[in-house]
Amino acid sequence: MIERIEKASEIRHWLGDMEADHYYYSAGIAGERFFVALRDEGKIVGTHCAACNLTYVPPRIYCEHCFAELTEYKDMGKRGCVVAFTVAHYDKANNRLDPPEIFALISFGPHTTPLLHRLSEVESEKICVGLEVEAVLKPKKDREGKITDILYFRPVKG
Amino acid sequence: MDLKKIRKDVAVIGAGMTIFARRLQETGKEMSWEAAKMALDEAGLTLKDIDAVIMGSAPDAFDGVHKKGEYLLDGAGGTNKPYMRVFIGGGTAVFAPIVGWWHVASGMFKRVLVVCEEKMSSVQPHAQSAFGHIWDPILDRPLKPNLVWIFSMEMQRYMHKYNVRYEDIALVAVKNKRNAVGHPCAQLADPNITLEDVLNSEPMALPVRRLDISPPSDGAAAIVLVSEDVAYEHTDTPVWIDGVGWCIDTTMWTNRDLAFPKFVARAAKMAYEMAGIKNPRKEIDLAEPYDPFDYKELQHLEGLLLADPGEAAIMTREGKTQRDGEFPVCPSGGLLGVGNPIAAALGIKIGELYWQLAGKAGPRQVKKDVRTGVAQAWGDLMQVASVVVMRRR
Repeated sequence: MIERIEKASEIRHWLGDMEADHYYYSAGIAGERFFVALRDEGKIVGTHCAACNLTYVPPRIYCEHCFAELTEYKDMGKRGCVVAFTVAHYDKANNRLDPPEIFALISFGPHTTPLLHRLSEVESEKICVGLEVEAVLKPKKDREGKITDILYFRPVKG
Repeated sequence: MDLKKIRKDVAVIGAGMTIFARRLQETGKEMSWEAAKMALDEAGLTLKDIDAVIMGSAPDAFDGVHKKGEYLLDGAGGTNKPYMRVFIGGGTAVFAPIVGWWHVASGMFKRVLVVCEEKMSSVQPHAQSAFGHIWDPILDRPLKPNLVWIFSMEMQRYMHKYNVRYEDIALVAVKNKRNAVGHPCAQLADPNITLEDVLNSEPMALPVRRLDISPPSDGAAAIVLVSEDVAYEHTDTPVWIDGVGWCIDTTMWTNRDLAFPKFVARAAKMAYEMAGIKNPRKEIDLAEPYDPFDYKELQHLEGLLLADPGEAAIMTREGKTQRDGEFPVCPSGGLLGVGNPIAAALGIKIGELYWQLAGKAGPRQVKKDVRTGVAQAWGDLMQVASVVVMRRR
């Protein structure tokens, strides 16, 4: 058996697509609250499970550990700290990112689920776990109710 | 959960695997057939002896064919038999044999064929294009994440919490790529690789570098499982599956303990209880934990309760996990050395334990006498663990 063929043109093949590649992805009930608060009020909100002492950011309508219905929405503020981070040199299509992009998990407090987002206005050597950061939002007129309404997080100055 | 009421003991009596490489020409069916035929030949069986077939394969998007289970059916030998496809991402490599196990353990079937296949080269421009659609479409995808970044954050969290040095993690890549030398299926074996090679390899998403990762691959693997009623009719060296376990953590990956894989520990405890193992460190002789990244081997050894958190790095530095060390880990060469066609890692994990415990691993055979081994895989959105304990009696 032939084990290595470098060029697809050397074998009989067809280029094809799977046609059903467009979908409506809905934000859901808690997601609607999260994105509307972000767009209209510039707030990052979460829901709290009192039984498990756990706050979900972004919010959810149920606690996945005890299945309680969560109705208490909390304003989390815009400040958090870095839980983990990475400095990415390639995008998903294997194209070089120059400058590299920095991604981080950001926690808004103890017993709170972290949020994935970008870090900017920071040198990669200066990032550490525990670094205090704040959200930088798009101007209100440009916000669309998407996670990218948050442009990035940056270190808290001073 | 009652882990005592198993009706039949189940043995592996044959295994097969293809070369792992970029294999543009062969179809997934053809590779499945090649591996399945090898496993049947080693077991001394033909397809008509097989009562049921389990097929393991990862996302449909890799092949661009929905319902990939039936697409691969004929290559796996499932036509006109009870047949099912299972898929839990990378965890499939050890979960498909668990599904095969319960087919036999239940008493329903005497001889079951488990086939795992992956062809990652079909998807264009890169397998990462398919992985781009495993994320939450609302929260994660607009940020354009790729898998490597997420693993990188997990690796960094592991290093931070347990004070693990990158140099010790990179030693896993060196060990496994060297172990793979002599493996007839290996894609990534390198007899001359050094720690410096890994440390100086290209940054992908720091702290992850090029040589910390196993790249995409194509290949297939298969095993034959039989009931205790017929095992010794076919071989003198059956290797028994004495414990199985599986567990899944939350899909919201940001919310997990990224430093210690609790779901692996839960799966391991289930498998150990079934196998009657009270002290895994003393009772297990070798391990094949899932190693798509070098740090995952360490984290998984700790999840399997074979090391304390952070200790697996020290064991690696001290050479204990070498093939000839006191506790061999990934003597196959693992995914880092042999290759990573997702579900087909069956051949590196369960296949290797079978060959090692049956004394059939050839140049890869570990020096010490081994009777009990554990294999583990990890998958879905980095959240599921499948664990199998195997023994020679």
